[in-house]
Amino acid sequence: MGGHAKPPAKHHNPHAHVIHQPGRRLMHHIPLKFVWNKVAGHGRRSGNAALNLVSFIDFLITTVIFLLMSFSASGEITVDKNVKLPKAENVEDIIDAPMVAVNGNQILVDGTLAGSTRAIEELGRMQKIDELFNLLKNKRELWKQVQPNKPFPGVCILQVDQNVPAIVVKSVFQTAAFAGYPNVSFMVAKLPKSGG
Amino acid sequence: MGGVDVGSEGGKKKATNAEINMVPFIDLLMCTIAFLLITAVWVTNSRMNADAQVPGPPNPDKELTPQTPEKVLNLHIGESDFALVWKQGATVVSEVRVPKPPPNDSPVIRYPDLAKKLEAEWNSNGSHRDPSDKKLDQAIMHTDNRTPFKEVVAVLDALYATKRKVKLPEGDKDLPVFNMTFSVR
Repeated sequence: MGGHAKPPAKHHNPHAHVIHQPGRRLMHHIPLKFVWNKVAGHGRRSGNAALNLVSFIDFLITTVIFLLMSFSASGEITVDKNVKLPKAENVEDIIDAPMVAVNGNQILVDGTLAGSTRAIEELGRMQKIDELFNLLKNKRELWKQVQPNKPFPGVCILQVDQNVPAIVVKSVFQTAAFAGYPNVSFMVAKLPKSGG
Repeated sequence: MGGVDVGSEGGKKKATNAEINMVPFIDLLMCTIAFLLITAVWVTNSRMNADAQVPGPPNPDKELTPQTPEKVLNLHIGESDFALVWKQGATVVSEVRVPKPPPNDSPVIRYPDLAKKLEAEWNSNGSHRDPSDKKLDQAIMHTDNRTPFKEVVAVLDALYATKRKVKLPEGDKDLPVFNMTFSVR
């Protein structure tokens, strides 16, 4: 009896393989075929399909980063729907200031009618636009009442249609300057840098 | 779903494989995307500066001393060309003409040759060059009353193409070398 050699004990080191090869493991240690069949669904293909979500999450994160980069906290600036802005490359960022919209027929200050473009064109010479002057002056006085300790910046932005003649632009420009807004900016659509 | 495999210890022990539920994470990402898409601003409008404050407000605190007038660029928009005239007071310092390209069907008007010539003119006649000098060279635009605004903007775009470094309290900034105002008769 004692002459029989004992088979070598199976060496099992639990820390030998931390990362396992992927594969079926459920109930695999039970050496019974019917258990394996039960687990594998009697040899049929399982009805549950697992989707790989890694690429989907990657896509979502990339989209979130892109949208966050292009996010503007200042919000959208309303442009009069009758005004088609000219395009330019060497521009600056928009600032918060009174908006004067000049289209083919009307002059509007923050949506309020402040004069007629046609009247200036028909007259054929530069003139001070009284309604525009009064509206801008009122805005300036209101600003000074609200913020008495700050110096008035004197900035206004002109949204001028690209086909409006220069005489109208000059009249509006001069009226704004008379009303206390010497720093006049023209709103334009930004063109990408040509790189030349 | 996402999981972490830390090795199995046999059938009797509690499984050490942890499953992270990714559904709330995906929900959060979806909500963020929806919010950002709804609030996104796709139209990029900008502005171009002009100045009606010529030669500038008189300061009552400062004593007036007679100074030689600065050189000012007078930019005339003609029918077929542009005239770049540097004037010091009433004296004409130099005059250059740049031919105007013929009108085309392009919706955007550009004057790259005028921009190059303006840069060369500023390099030879510009007064304010030092980064610590915050004042800009003055340009006066002379244009016909019938000139469409898009042409005025195209000339303004060429005028503002040349830039120089200016030291500001918030840091160095590239600013256009010229500041434009309109000529008024």
